[in-house]
Amino acid sequence: MKKYQLGEFEEVVMLTVGILYDEAYGVSIKKEIESRLKRGVSVGALQTALRRLEDKGYLKSREGEATEERAGRPKKYFSITAYGKKAMEYTKSTRDELWSAIPKVALDIKIVSN
Amino acid sequence: MKKQRPYPPQLSLRFFRWFCHPKLRDSIEGDLMELYEERAKEKGKRKADIRFVLDVLLLFRPGIIKPTEGYQNLNTYDMYKNYFVTAWRNVVRKKSSAAINVFGLTLGITCALIIFALVSYHLSFDNFHHDSDRIYRFVTEEHRDQVDYEASVPPVFGKAFREDYTFAEKVARLCTRTNSLITIEKGEISEKYTDQIAFAEPAFFEIFNFPLVAGTLDQFAKPNTAIITERVAKKYFGNEIPLGKTFRFYNNFDLTVTGVLKDIPVNTDLRSEIYFSYSTIKQYSEWYAADDAWGGITSDIQTFTRLQPGVDPLEVEQVLPAYVKKYRANSKNVHHYKLQPLTDVHFNAKYGGVMDMTTISILSLVGFLLVFTACLNFINLATAQAVTRAREVGVRKVLGGFRSQLFWQFTIETGLIVLLATLLAVTVAHNTMPYINSFFDLQISFNLFSDLKLSGFLVALIFTVTFFSGAYPGIILSGFKPVQALKGKLKAVQSGSFNLRRSLIVAQFTIAQLLLIGLIVMVFQMKYFGNTDMGFNHEAVVIIPTGSNDEKLNSLKDQFSVVPKVESVTACFAPPASNTNQWSTSVLYDNRSEAETFSISYKGGDENYLATFGLELIAGRNLTTSDTVREFIVNEKFVAKLGLSSPEDVLGKQLGVNGNSWKGPIVGVVKDFHDQSFHSDIEPIFITTRKSTYNVFAVKINMKDAANTLTALEKIWSNMYPEQIYKYDFLDDQIASFYQTEQRMMTVIQVFACIAIIIGALGLYGLVSFMAVQKTKEIGIRKVLGGDVAQILWIFGKEFTVLVAVAFLIAAPVGWYVMSQWLSNYVFKVDISIWMFVLELFIVAIVVMVTVGYRSVKAVVANPVESLRSE
Repeated sequence: MKKYQLGEFEEVVMLTVGILYDEAYGVSIKKEIESRLKRGVSVGALQTALRRLEDKGYLKSREGEATEERAGRPKKYFSITAYGKKAMEYTKSTRDELWSAIPKVALDIKIVSN
Repeated sequence: MKKQRPYPPQLSLRFFRWFCHPKLRDSIEGDLMELYEERAKEKGKRKADIRFVLDVLLLFRPGIIKPTEGYQNLNTYDMYKNYFVTAWRNVVRKKSSAAINVFGLTLGITCALIIFALVSYHLSFDNFHHDSDRIYRFVTEEHRDQVDYEASVPPVFGKAFREDYTFAEKVARLCTRTNSLITIEKGEISEKYTDQIAFAEPAFFEIFNFPLVAGTLDQFAKPNTAIITERVAKKYFGNEIPLGKTFRFYNNFDLTVTGVLKDIPVNTDLRSEIYFSYSTIKQYSEWYAADDAWGGITSDIQTFTRLQPGVDPLEVEQVLPAYVKKYRANSKNVHHYKLQPLTDVHFNAKYGGVMDMTTISILSLVGFLLVFTACLNFINLATAQAVTRAREVGVRKVLGGFRSQLFWQFTIETGLIVLLATLLAVTVAHNTMPYINSFFDLQISFNLFSDLKLSGFLVALIFTVTFFSGAYPGIILSGFKPVQALKGKLKAVQSGSFNLRRSLIVAQFTIAQLLLIGLIVMVFQMKYFGNTDMGFNHEAVVIIPTGSNDEKLNSLKDQFSVVPKVESVTACFAPPASNTNQWSTSVLYDNRSEAETFSISYKGGDENYLATFGLELIAGRNLTTSDTVREFIVNEKFVAKLGLSSPEDVLGKQLGVNGNSWKGPIVGVVKDFHDQSFHSDIEPIFITTRKSTYNVFAVKINMKDAANTLTALEKIWSNMYPEQIYKYDFLDDQIASFYQTEQRMMTVIQVFACIAIIIGALGLYGLVSFMAVQKTKEIGIRKVLGGDVAQILWIFGKEFTVLVAVAFLIAAPVGWYVMSQWLSNYVFKVDISIWMFVLELFIVAIVVMVTVGYRSVKAVVANPVESLRSE
C-alpha cells in the first residue's frame, strides 16, 4: 500500500515550492519550473496540481498582497507542510532504496545491436 | 496621465470567471493577469491574447471548475428549521389570510380527492379478469329507420358461434333475472327472498375471474345445480355448509348448491351472486333454450367470449352477417352483430353502460378546475401580501441569503399550508365518502393506506399544488432588491403585477359562472320534466306485480276493484311510460308483404288500460274484454309514421306483430303520450289484450285514506299468493327514477358550483383587502376633502364590476355551448333563454356585492385621521 501519493509532476511542484521558499505563488512556481526543467507548464496544469496538493495536505497557502500588474488580485503563496515534507522524504527514500537495489551489473551492461 | 494597460480578451476572461471555483478565482485570475501583462510587454498583445485564451481553456478542468451542487458545504439544517419557524409565525400572525388559504385549498383538494376516488373506481371496473383485453360481449345494432343498440344477441347465438367457429377460446351465455323469488324450506317454515339470479354456462367462470372456494365446476353442467357466493350462502343457510343444500326458484323448480364462490368484488357490472346451471334454463323459458331462437333478442341474455390470442375482433364481425342470412331470411337485414370489448361495457351508455366517458371527463375537469381556482386564490393572496414580507427578504439577502434559498423558503411555507389543507381535506373526504356512496349507490372505499393509487395521487397533488401556487409568489418575493426592501420603498407594483391578480380573479369567476350557468339550465330542464304533461295520468297510481298469469289474475283484479277508494284497476304489460318493461317488434300493416321500416312498441293491457291511465281515444273505440290478442289500438305516431293524415284511415285495417303471430284489426287510435323519458321521442305503439304477458296491476286509488287502501290491497294480494313477496310502487316514483341520473348530476353540479363560488369569493375578499390597504391614504384624503361614502365605495365597486363582467363575457358563450350540447340529449327540452343568464349574473352580483361590500365599507368608514397619521 502506498503511504504517500505523489505523482511526478506533483513532486516537481513540491520541490519548486521548497526552492522558492517564501516567494512561491502561481507565476513564480511556473517560471521556476520552466527555467530549471526546460519544459512548458500551463497555468491549468499547475493550478490543478497545486489544488490537489493542498487538498492532500502537503501544501498550505496564504493570501498575499495585491499588486497593480495583477489587476488588484491577491497572490496566493504556498509553503510545504510538515506532512508534505514527510511525503517528499518518503518518495526520495523509496527512490534511493530502489536505486541501491539495482545490481551494478545491470547498469553496466552495454546493449549490442547488430 | 496613466498609460492604458493592455487588457486580455473579455470573453474568455468572463468565461473563466464563470466556470472557476470561487475560492480559487481571485488568485488564479491574478496569476493570469500577471502573465498576460508580462507577455504583452515581451511579445505583443496579440500573442499574449492567444496564450491567455489557451491558458483559460487549459484551466477548464475538474478541480478548477466549480462544482454544480454549490460549494459551501455547511450544515443547513438550522436554516431549514428556521424556514418552518418563520412559516409557522406567519400563519399565526396573519390568521385571517391563512384561514382563507387553508379553507380554499381544503375545499379544492377535498373535491379533487373525492372525484379521483370516484373516477378511479369507475375506471377499475372489470379489470381483474385474466386476459380481459380478449374478452368481448356480443351486441346487436338494429338498423331500421333509426339505429337501436342492444347489449345482447339472439338466445341461441352463443351456442351456434361456439360450434361453428374457432375464433373463440371460450363462449358463455348469461341470462340474468332481477328480483327473482327464492324459497328455502327450513322444516315447517319457508323463507322467502327476492334476489338477482343468473343462468350461466360453465365457461362463464373460465372467462371471468370469480374463483370458487368450495365445490367444483364439474357438476355445474347438470340441470338444477347452482353456485352461490359466500355472502348468499350465509344469508340463506347461516353457518351450515351450503354444498348439497337446495332451494326453490319461483315455486317452480329446485336447485342444489354445488359450489360456493368467493364474494363478488364491488368493481364489476356482473352483479349476480346466485348462478344456475344454464341447462336449467329450459324449465324457465322454452324459447330461451330453443335451438332456433333467432327471431328476437332479450336483454336478459348476454353472450360473452374470450377470443383466441391474436384474433382480430373485426375479423370475427365479418363472419357474423352469415347468421342473419341463414336464420333470419324472412326478416329484413335488421340485425348487425358486433363485438363490444369488456373495457367498454361499463362506459358505453348506448349498450347500457352506467358511467359514460363524458361524465367521467366532465367530473375530472371540474375537479381540476376547483383545485386550479384554489391555487389561484393562494397566488392572489400571497402576492398581495408580499410587501409585508419585504423587510424579511431584505435582511435575509443582506445576510447572504441566495435568491434560490429565499425561493425555497417560500415554497416550503406554501408546502406547509398545502399540507395542512390536505390533512383537513383527507379528513373531510373520508367522512363524506359514506354519504357520497349512498347518494350514488356506490361502494367506494376511501382508504389512503391500503389504496396505493389514492395515496400516490395525494402525494402528487400536494407537490403540484405546492409548486403551482408557491412558485410565482416565491419568484416575486425572492426577487426583491434588498436596499429598496429595507428602506421600505417597495411599491406594490414590484410585488407582482396588479393585472395578473385581476386576470386570476377573472379566471376564477369564469369557472364559477360556468358551473352556475350549467346548474341553472339543469334546474330549468328538471322543472320542465316535472311540469310537462306526459300525456297520461300517473298520479295516485299504484303498481303491483302480478303473481301469476292464470285465472288468479282475473280474480285478483275483481277483488281489487271492489276495495273502497279504488277508482280503477287494470292488468297490463307495463304502464304507459316504463323503463323496465320495454318490448318492440317489427310490424306488418294492412297485410302488406313486407314489414314497415320502423318498429313498434308493445303496451299490453286489458279493457281498463285506457281508463286507468286517462289515455284519450281520438278515433275508434276501446278494446273489448279478452285474454288473448283480438284487436289493436295504436297511437297517432303510428299513423304519422305510415304517412297517413287521418287516424280514421287505419281503423279496421289488419295489423300483424311479433313475427305476424299476433294478428287482428285496428279498432282505435289514442292521442300521443310520452311512452319513455324525455330523452327519447314518442314511438309508435300498439295496445292489445294478452293476459300471459301482463306483469303488473295498475291500481288508481283515491289518495285520501291511502294508507288503509294500500293495506287492503296488500292483504288481498298476500292471501292469493302466500308463497310470494308483496311489493308495490307509485307510478310517480317510477317516473321520477327515469331522471335519477340527472337529479344526481344536478346535485353534484350544485355542490361544485357552490364550492367554486365560495373559493372565488374568498379570492375576491383577498383582493379587496389588498386594495383597501393600498388605498388607505387615498380614501383618507378623499374623505378629508369631502368625498361621500357612496362615491368612495364606487372606487372598489367599479373595479369588481368590470372583472365580473369580463368573466361573464367569457363564461356565457362557453356555458351556452356546453349546455346546448347537454340539452341535445333530450328530445323534449327547454330553450336556453336570456333570463337564465340574467339570473346567473344576478346571483354572482349578490355574492360579489356582499364580499366586496363587507370589506370596503370597513375601509371606507375608517376615521381618515387614523389613515393619514401613519406617516
